[in-house]
Amino acid sequence: MNIRALPAALYVLLLYGFIFLPVLVLVLFSFQESRLPVPPFDGPSLAWYRAMLADDRLMDALVNSVLVGVVSSLVAVTLGFLAAYALARHRLPLAGLLRGLLTAPLTISYLIIGMGLLITFNSLGVPKSLWTIGIGHVVINLPLCFAIVYSQMGAQQAHAERAARDLGAREWQVIVLITAPMLWPALFASFFLSLTFSWDEFIIAFLVSRFDVTLPVEIWSMLRSGLNPKTNAIGSFVFLISFLFVLLLDLVVLRKRPA
Amino acid sequence: MMANRRLAWGLLLPALLWTLTFFAAPLVIMGMYSLWQRVGMKLVQTWTTHNYQQFASKSFLLESLVNSLEVTATVTVISILLAYPLAYILAERVPARWQRLALVMAILPFWTSYVVRSYSWLLVLSEGGILSNFLMDIGLIAEPMSFANNRGATVVGFVHFFVMLLTLTIYASLVQLPPSYRKAAADLGAGPIRSFIHVVLPLTLPGVMVGAFLTFVLCIGDYITPQILGGNQELLLPQTIMMQISRRSDFPMASALAMILMAVVSLAYLACARWLKLDRL
Amino acid sequence: MSIAQTSSSFCCARMALRSAGALSLLILSAPGLATEELNALVWCDHTDPALIEPFEQEHDVRVNLKEYEGTGNALAIVEQSQPGDWDVFVIDGVDVPRVAEAGLLAELPADALPLDDIFEPVQMRDVTFRDGKMYAIMEKFGYNVVAYNKAKVDPADMRDLGVLWTDKYKDQIAVYDYYIPLMDLVALKLGMKPSDISAETLPQIRDALFELKDNASMVGEVVSSTTALATGEADILLGGGEWAVAVLQAENPDLDWVLPDQGGLLWSQSLAVFETSTKKDLAIEFVKYIMSPEGQARLATSSCFWGVPANRKAGDLLTDAQKRALRWDEQTELLANSHRYFIPDAELDGQMLDVWSEFLQH
Repeated sequence: MNIRALPAALYVLLLYGFIFLPVLVLVLFSFQESRLPVPPFDGPSLAWYRAMLADDRLMDALVNSVLVGVVSSLVAVTLGFLAAYALARHRLPLAGLLRGLLTAPLTISYLIIGMGLLITFNSLGVPKSLWTIGIGHVVINLPLCFAIVYSQMGAQQAHAERAARDLGAREWQVIVLITAPMLWPALFASFFLSLTFSWDEFIIAFLVSRFDVTLPVEIWSMLRSGLNPKTNAIGSFVFLISFLFVLLLDLVVLRKRPA
Repeated sequence: MMANRRLAWGLLLPALLWTLTFFAAPLVIMGMYSLWQRVGMKLVQTWTTHNYQQFASKSFLLESLVNSLEVTATVTVISILLAYPLAYILAERVPARWQRLALVMAILPFWTSYVVRSYSWLLVLSEGGILSNFLMDIGLIAEPMSFANNRGATVVGFVHFFVMLLTLTIYASLVQLPPSYRKAAADLGAGPIRSFIHVVLPLTLPGVMVGAFLTFVLCIGDYITPQILGGNQELLLPQTIMMQISRRSDFPMASALAMILMAVVSLAYLACARWLKLDRL
Repeated sequence: MSIAQTSSSFCCARMALRSAGALSLLILSAPGLATEELNALVWCDHTDPALIEPFEQEHDVRVNLKEYEGTGNALAIVEQSQPGDWDVFVIDGVDVPRVAEAGLLAELPADALPLDDIFEPVQMRDVTFRDGKMYAIMEKFGYNVVAYNKAKVDPADMRDLGVLWTDKYKDQIAVYDYYIPLMDLVALKLGMKPSDISAETLPQIRDALFELKDNASMVGEVVSSTTALATGEADILLGGGEWAVAVLQAENPDLDWVLPDQGGLLWSQSLAVFETSTKKDLAIEFVKYIMSPEGQARLATSSCFWGVPANRKAGDLLTDAQKRALRWDEQTELLANSHRYFIPDAELDGQMLDVWSEFLQH
């Protein structure tokens, strides 16, 4: 490496350092011995991880997050896929407007979407629950799924579909047996992205939940217990899970290129 | 193409209905609420621009919008200035086979919960935290100092996230640039700097603008980071909105503020419209 | 191949899938329906498992707790809920009259509760009773005064509220984020009584608040402000008291609190039952448990914040160290020099909230 590359290397190092700093601090002090997760570091100790696992509310919230994430992502991918198929393969009137409407939620702040749902559910007398959170998460993820799948619907699939129809396949068979498998990476990416966004989403979950909350909302409540290594523990734990997710995505999807 | 209109509508309908029912209708309802008023503990459903007038006249409401715009502008500019060089180095100087790893590494820290990440900055910036200890160790300050609970901390928390986002969008734009363009510029006698200013920069501008727009929208609507790191030194618009909901249950006022937030974002969209094509994601 | 057939077969397959999904979700959430549940809207000191678990085990119920800070927030939550959502309400005593008048509270059986065991000045029958019926019972009380770190500030200075408005402790002050007691404290500093706050005197209060904000390093709710004291982020907490200090004293024995010469604010939490509750009997059992000497002792020293238990008999169950932290023996004098929260009418309340927002924005 020549000397001219030094400033660039330094810059990259500094910036990566900045990006990693809070996470490193988080993970380091999750192994803290005493009550305050600030220097000096006296550890390592697994006490706070044990406390985290013993915390029923936290573990319930974790399960709720997974539940809401998986179900809402499945719904979002299904609806998005079907809508993308309909708009890509058929010439419908006002197609541009429909596409715009379906992708509009991407530009609206989650806070506003959550408020809209809160006000609507309130005036209709709908009780707040994990279902209402799920509904909100489908709203924010549907545009994404739609956009991703729509952008991937190319001539290749169209040819295969036409061939299948010529051979006598019914429409639903075409969709389920031809289109969906060919679009598998896009579907998986949409599902994965939706799951990620739902898993980490706070403000909508905060506004339209009552007792059964998702993990970010429970962590928020914990935060109000001040600086606590248990929060570090759950944060590091979430980090680990997400890291494994990414690894999984990499190994399963990105290695396999469609023929 | 199958001329099977009814089937197409049938496939489209679930998504369409969902969007209309749970996205469009609530927005319309909020628009209606913004023109109603809360008197005492009751909702008075007569049309009035009272809430908007209040917004214009009450200093703390107007200031929250100004604060939000200032913070968002600061964050966007700083993030772009930090991200562009990083994206450039990643796209141009890093060997191709390491690029994906470098990107994944850049995204990795953001796989912690967003709420926890803001909290982590509190650990770093508070009195007795990492930064304070570090500065004391190298002798720059004598006593522990707090860097949290102010606008600076909020900006740091935001920049941390948006540098990553902008690096990604600018990188995506840079790698799409055909190398032949730069070779052509060199052939015509342009040095690396002129080549950059006249060729690379304009062609990557769409990527920058997409990132800047996303930064603007996400930053101005965020409640968590200013709430955790700002220490109530000042209030930003999302905090004001949440206060209307949680402290006063004043949905009309909150709705009016939300409408104003949406209007601001729409203005930003119109300003960036040339570079943003939503169906070309 | 008819269109109707394709569409219907397709749609039925999807519907089957959806129903299966919904059913499995329902089954998964069923375990929660097994035990009876009690929903309580509380201040954070009620979330201590040491307080809740004995009750849960004895009555085989699950107590769901939602925390809030500030009666305004609680009322917002109630408004944004459905009837029957809530059973037990922990609410500041002085707010009981307006909430009872709004018809939100159920009558409590006065003879089943240890009303006479409560410290005299705290019984506050004038607010907890209405038309001869009892709607709430005091459970815990304390003071919003000045908490401080005696290793960092001069304790003698803390006896005078005015010192906080000088430059001496600039950027060392945290302000507790609850507009009612804080604006009352400002009134005391200006030589007024909290009940003197009105539309006319509000501008004075506002100016004083702005001056205070210039000296403050942060404004925070219960836990962020007590954490600030604990970590040294702030050395003084205006609005703090034994509630902030006692829970941290084990870690930092330098923390202390004092009732200033100008007087202090008395906070008093009460227990009530919602009128729309579908489990009133269970709710009343909960109230009885909290008011029992054991419940009172646990509540007094629960996590989040401490306070003096309303039931005198709890004193037999507290240790000497705990009583010292709560200034058990000084209560008569402290109560004599404190004022209740001033509860404004709806219009003045709105104006006060606006002033507080301006304070936060300043």
